[in-house]
Amino acid sequence: MTAQTVPAPKRVIDIEAVTMAFGGLTALRDVSFSIFENETVSLIGPNGAGKTTLLNVIAGNLRPSSGRVVLRGEPIQGLPPNEINARGIGRTFQSVEIFATLTVLENAMAGGVAATAIGLAPSFLPWGKARRVQNDLARRAREMLDFVGLSAAADMPGGTLPTGQQRLLGIARVMMSGARVLLLDEPGAGLNETEKSALINVISRLSDKGYTIIVVEHDMALVAQVSDRIVVLDQGRLIADGLPDAVKHDPVVIQAYLGRSHDHGVARLRTQVARSEKLLEIDRLSIRYGGVTALDNANVHVNKGEIVALVGPNGAGKSSLVKAVAGFVKPATGTIRYDGADLRALRSPDAVTRKGVSLVPEGRALFPSLTITDNLALGYYTERFRNWGLRGLIAPGLNRNDAFEERKEIAFRLFPILKERQQQQAGMLSGGQAQMLAIARSLMSNPRLLLLDEPSLGLAPKVIDEILHKLLELRAGGLSILLIEQNAQAALQIADRAYVLSTGRIVADGAADSILADPNIASAYLGWDENKPQAETLRSAVS
Amino acid sequence: MKQQGIWPYLLLVAGLIGLQFSGSNYLTNLANFVAIQALPAIGLSLLMGYTGQISLGHAAFYGLGAYGSVLLATLLGVNMWLAMVLAAVLVGIAAWALGWLVFRLEGHYLAMATLGFGIIVHVILVEMHDWTGGPNGMTGIEPMNLFGHEFYSDKQVFPIVWGACILGIFFAESLVRSPVGLLMRGVSENGRVVASLGASPDRMKRLVLMVSGIYAAVAGALYARYVGYLSPGPFDVGFSIKLLLMVAIGGFAQIWGVLFGVAFVALVSELLKPLGGYDIIVFGVLLVVAVVYCRDGLLQTLFAGVRGTLRLARKSVS
Repeated sequence: MTAQTVPAPKRVIDIEAVTMAFGGLTALRDVSFSIFENETVSLIGPNGAGKTTLLNVIAGNLRPSSGRVVLRGEPIQGLPPNEINARGIGRTFQSVEIFATLTVLENAMAGGVAATAIGLAPSFLPWGKARRVQNDLARRAREMLDFVGLSAAADMPGGTLPTGQQRLLGIARVMMSGARVLLLDEPGAGLNETEKSALINVISRLSDKGYTIIVVEHDMALVAQVSDRIVVLDQGRLIADGLPDAVKHDPVVIQAYLGRSHDHGVARLRTQVARSEKLLEIDRLSIRYGGVTALDNANVHVNKGEIVALVGPNGAGKSSLVKAVAGFVKPATGTIRYDGADLRALRSPDAVTRKGVSLVPEGRALFPSLTITDNLALGYYTERFRNWGLRGLIAPGLNRNDAFEERKEIAFRLFPILKERQQQQAGMLSGGQAQMLAIARSLMSNPRLLLLDEPSLGLAPKVIDEILHKLLELRAGGLSILLIEQNAQAALQIADRAYVLSTGRIVADGAADSILADPNIASAYLGWDENKPQAETLRSAVS
Repeated sequence: MKQQGIWPYLLLVAGLIGLQFSGSNYLTNLANFVAIQALPAIGLSLLMGYTGQISLGHAAFYGLGAYGSVLLATLLGVNMWLAMVLAAVLVGIAAWALGWLVFRLEGHYLAMATLGFGIIVHVILVEMHDWTGGPNGMTGIEPMNLFGHEFYSDKQVFPIVWGACILGIFFAESLVRSPVGLLMRGVSENGRVVASLGASPDRMKRLVLMVSGIYAAVAGALYARYVGYLSPGPFDVGFSIKLLLMVAIGGFAQIWGVLFGVAFVALVSELLKPLGGYDIIVFGVLLVVAVVYCRDGLLQTLFAGVRGTLRLARKSVS
């Protein structure tokens, strides 16, 4: 909150040319920036930008492939997380990670134990040092709970708190460790507006108390309210670093969120007209995880032979919707009809696949130690079962293998690179090839509806281009496709129709071209407005 | 964080005194074994229940404590009590060192590694004839004596083993209620978070394994002096599983519950004597039932059941 008014602010953390590579995937490339004393810096960027990776590098959960993390002049990269905490850097977790069986007070107290350096020996007696430390921890923990406004809940089990309060407890707990630099990993995810304002209030008061804070966050309204400075990452690179106002209007940042703006040259391929016969019909679908609403009353349909794109920022509820269709998530309310049948009545995801709905999951989910051919064979099981029943699985005869070879050839014709490498392990493939294999594997079950969850994640624009072209070829072959993409720019160029999701609601829908041209889409994604997030305005306009 | 109550201790002591008044040697003998086996079971509960780390090799620590204390006394010619302390310290160090190796692993792999450790120690006890007497074991182990007074009969040993057991319960109860206990419970839920709060989860696990090993070693040493005869049989993997059963019946993270678990298993063992070696089948079934249906321990589940039935009964009356 406090602006940098001090003439020569002290540097607390220097990130120096940090690169982090996981096998073939480079999550961070040569990232450098500094964080100053008592500053609140937000780290933003689209999904897969490397924000959490960077947080993990600073907190000691990951050792960078190269580069340094310097805390007040001392390199700390590669130290174990507990050492990093002992040096004054504390972190919270995206998934909260409250100790469910400990009470709220005990959770907070647990945060302070390591700093007291109480040994094992005094702990065997209920009197003496253990007692003194215990009482001291309890007193300080109560102060911290008071600070974040959780005093009333002190004796409740941590697991029973709603998400918003768990986040605040996570902050109180890490404050107890004595850390003066706090790394907050998506503190606003899954919170409602009231909880968010409580969180914003706590973050500003932390800043007033002199804490240095780094926030990784998707909620731009929250970011706008707490940040002194914003650092933007995209595909592992630092693309912007500056004051909130400058970053907000930076075209490079807007482009990073909406996807590459160069014309993929595929729009003109959309010649075939889709039929208006509905294949998939989702009616008033709501999905909740515990108390968090991931999807709220969504109506979506896919016509036969149509590509429908579902776009929106991270956490909008896109993946939840697709997982519900594929049978991995049980929706709270609403109906999902596919080709006249009720998909919600099916007992398991494999039954959905047998109906002809195939999911290409986010992150590909290949079997890395199996060859490409074996991965495809696993994708073929559904078709084998459909055609020959159980006998097809336990006694695959020669003619049945011919059928497999035939389908495999179709997949190879679509993605020739897979044929060249068919005996290689799937784990050795590059990101783009892995995505191709994931699509090919899903096609092996001979689906009529293909669900694609973030196929462009972590891929270079040229590769995205190639894969999207293939989707158009599939569509020409009569396949219907529901495509989930954060890279809206790319998805909207090949889609017939599109829905825009933001915080669990559909805020816009229509022909892909018109959505692409709509200036409001940027606001739906970025929602900078401090007082009223744009998503809210769009939402109220729709409902 | 409630302080521990004095009532369970008073009740236990009253029960033990009552048992002495009954004058039954059989019951005293049974009670002595409950006290001795309660120590490794409580140690295992600290490790499994409170810290969330499985061990299928706890019988090894028990055996090392038993053999070690006797061998140290004869080899070094030291006082038996000093030998007991030495053996406990050595086993503690061995457990800590084992922790360095095995806590790189989690879940099934940790179970396999500790199981392997248990088997290795058992094989050593069987094969090192010169030291351990092999399968024939060691006989003629001197009974405990203190200031010239021998503790030989069941009744004489009774106060010593129960004194040790009650101390063990007291220390364990203090530990789990201490600030360190909070970290132990934290490790059992999520080691990553504990690390983010400045404590090394691996170090916590090693320390608790060490404490747990010492509990088992002390019990082993008392066992050797009480029984006066050692053979590898009671220290095999079967006993490790039995300890697991006691802890499961006790409800994992409940020290007093574990004491009940030990007593329960001891009584069932007596009832199953006619089955001979096949009793292990019943124990296996019991373990599965306890883990699947009695997550909070047999006692709590029974209480909950009774409470539920009473509520139903009251409802049907009104």
